[in-house]
Amino acid sequence: MISLAGRDILHSWGRFVLTGIGLGLLIGATLTMAGVYRGMVDDARVMLTNSGADIWVVQQDTQGPYAEASSIRDDVYRGLLGLPGVAQAASVTYLTMQVRHGDTDSRTMVVGFEPGQPGEPGYLVAGRRLLRGHFEAIADVKTGFRLGERIRIRRHDYEVVGLTRRMVSSGGDPMVFIPLKDAQEAQFLKDNDAIISDRARTAANPALNRPGVPGLLDAVTAAQTINHSVNAVLVKVGAGNTAETVAREIRRWKHLQAYTREQMEEILVAKLIATSAKQIGMFLAILTIVSAAIVAFIIYTMTLGKIREIAVLKLIGTRNRTIAGMILQQAMGLGLIGFVVGKISATLWGPAFPKYVLLETGDAVRAFVIIMVVCALASTLAIRAALKVDPATAIGG
Amino acid sequence: MDQGIRIEGLSKRYGEGDTAVDALKEVNMSIAPGEVVGLVGPSGSGKTTLLKCLGAVIEPTRGRMTLGGEVIYDSADGGWKTPDLRALRRDRIGFIFQAPYLIPFLDVIDNVALLPMLAGQTNGASRARALELLQALDVTHRAKAQPSELSGGEQQRVSIARALANQPPVILADEPTAPLDSERALAVMRILNQMASQYQTAIIVVTHDEKIIPIFKRIYHIRDGRTVEEAGAPRKAAHPERGGNDKIIHAEETIVAEEFHILKPDIT
Repeated sequence: MISLAGRDILHSWGRFVLTGIGLGLLIGATLTMAGVYRGMVDDARVMLTNSGADIWVVQQDTQGPYAEASSIRDDVYRGLLGLPGVAQAASVTYLTMQVRHGDTDSRTMVVGFEPGQPGEPGYLVAGRRLLRGHFEAIADVKTGFRLGERIRIRRHDYEVVGLTRRMVSSGGDPMVFIPLKDAQEAQFLKDNDAIISDRARTAANPALNRPGVPGLLDAVTAAQTINHSVNAVLVKVGAGNTAETVAREIRRWKHLQAYTREQMEEILVAKLIATSAKQIGMFLAILTIVSAAIVAFIIYTMTLGKIREIAVLKLIGTRNRTIAGMILQQAMGLGLIGFVVGKISATLWGPAFPKYVLLETGDAVRAFVIIMVVCALASTLAIRAALKVDPATAIGG
Repeated sequence: MDQGIRIEGLSKRYGEGDTAVDALKEVNMSIAPGEVVGLVGPSGSGKTTLLKCLGAVIEPTRGRMTLGGEVIYDSADGGWKTPDLRALRRDRIGFIFQAPYLIPFLDVIDNVALLPMLAGQTNGASRARALELLQALDVTHRAKAQPSELSGGEQQRVSIARALANQPPVILADEPTAPLDSERALAVMRILNQMASQYQTAIIVVTHDEKIIPIFKRIYHIRDGRTVEEAGAPRKAAHPERGGNDKIIHAEETIVAEEFHILKPDIT
């Protein structure tokens, strides 16, 4: 039996292919949206993995350091190292800020870490690790920084000595890693005018500037200048211990919040990017509806253009299921072209997106099934119209 | 006559009560195999309704229809004899329309081969049958062409081939010459006569076309839903051995050929 759908497609292939390409670009956008969500989830997981930590210790009653602000003293790690099961503990700071390079600013998350301890980048793709205690930086390649380039963080210049990959914040900002002390200073250091103003205010305060207490004003000023806060302490547990057991001990004895890897992933994926996920979900739903409307409209108009031929086909004895099959196959063909174009488009333009776009095979398979189902459903309108055609209309003009 | 078409007391009423319209009233017709008859009448006289009843597209209100010796409809015995009217149309009735209405996305050979394929024949057998008919209608050279590439006359010849594809005992032709000029209209009628004779198919031609009316041996006039049979143009007796009217046709063709300089195609 002749494939009526195939012949019709070949007969008007230009219109069919152009429509398929248009639909494909829409499907490409849909796949990319799904890829953006997958990329966010994957970024979060990779960041947690690359940090090398088993437990995140943060300020009590907070979900820091990524989801909420957290501030703890920078000597907390010493107390944690004394707990059984703790192999390594190191302070880290996280601060999203503008980093200047050349004449432009880049939005980044500046991470303060101690070299050789949990919190440093998992691997480098170029350059070396930090060797000096100050003014060296490792940057994610997404920052666009190059090795040897000098960048400015607050009042100091840093040399980019290493490049890493897949280290971005939950907001998609690429990370820049600098020594912890520099990061603490960058996070809390004020500009000169503010320091002078603060010192003047302190000196004017009679409670802090007592004539009878020598050295008090100097001590207060020094305390205000130096910062001893960090955002979190990353802990690596020793062999034979579970993260959950150690985290429970930290919560009990140190009056701090401790999250295991699973709990931190839950915070990042289920809470921090939940709104983004919902937003993307809405886009996916809208794009799916738009795709269905386009397929339905195209197939319906193509069918309306063949009403006379359909009447003739029915009159000469073509079964309804053959006619319905023809329309269904055309809709599926449109979906197939759309899927192929969409997949290729998403693969080509995905890397150009500022955020990581992860196109998973599973998503592609699911998208294919959804597209086919949507096309099948969209064709029902046209099939209904075709089946309602009275074969008698072929007779008598 | 039993192998052709016989219509007895066929009536069709649209609507009910005060608004009822009797489109056909006790119509009687009989057409022998190989015979081509004309069905003429003014607009609204019931021609199309009769064609639709014969084409198993609408159900008559009353009467009896016999096709190829087999009763297909009898209002006194439950109506249609087969529930599958689609198959009845496909296998036993050929249709030729005012415009050729070829399927635009199928080439010429597949337009003709589609019917045997729908009837369950293999692609090879269907195409062989199509090729045979295209050869008989002298359009074999356009077998692979798209319908849009054909002239009006070629398209109508292909539509005739399509109507003959499943060797139906009857062909219903709905004003097949309306869009054609005189020369092509007469050529189409000549072909219909030849095909009817060659394939022993009864053909009913609904027409308003005065230029072809003289060709018919028999004409049914339909007026207000009733048919009146009358003889067509002056005729000679039909050839008794062929069961048809090939001598008459030959005489007409001679006249037509002389008048319009049409040469008879070499159909065997």
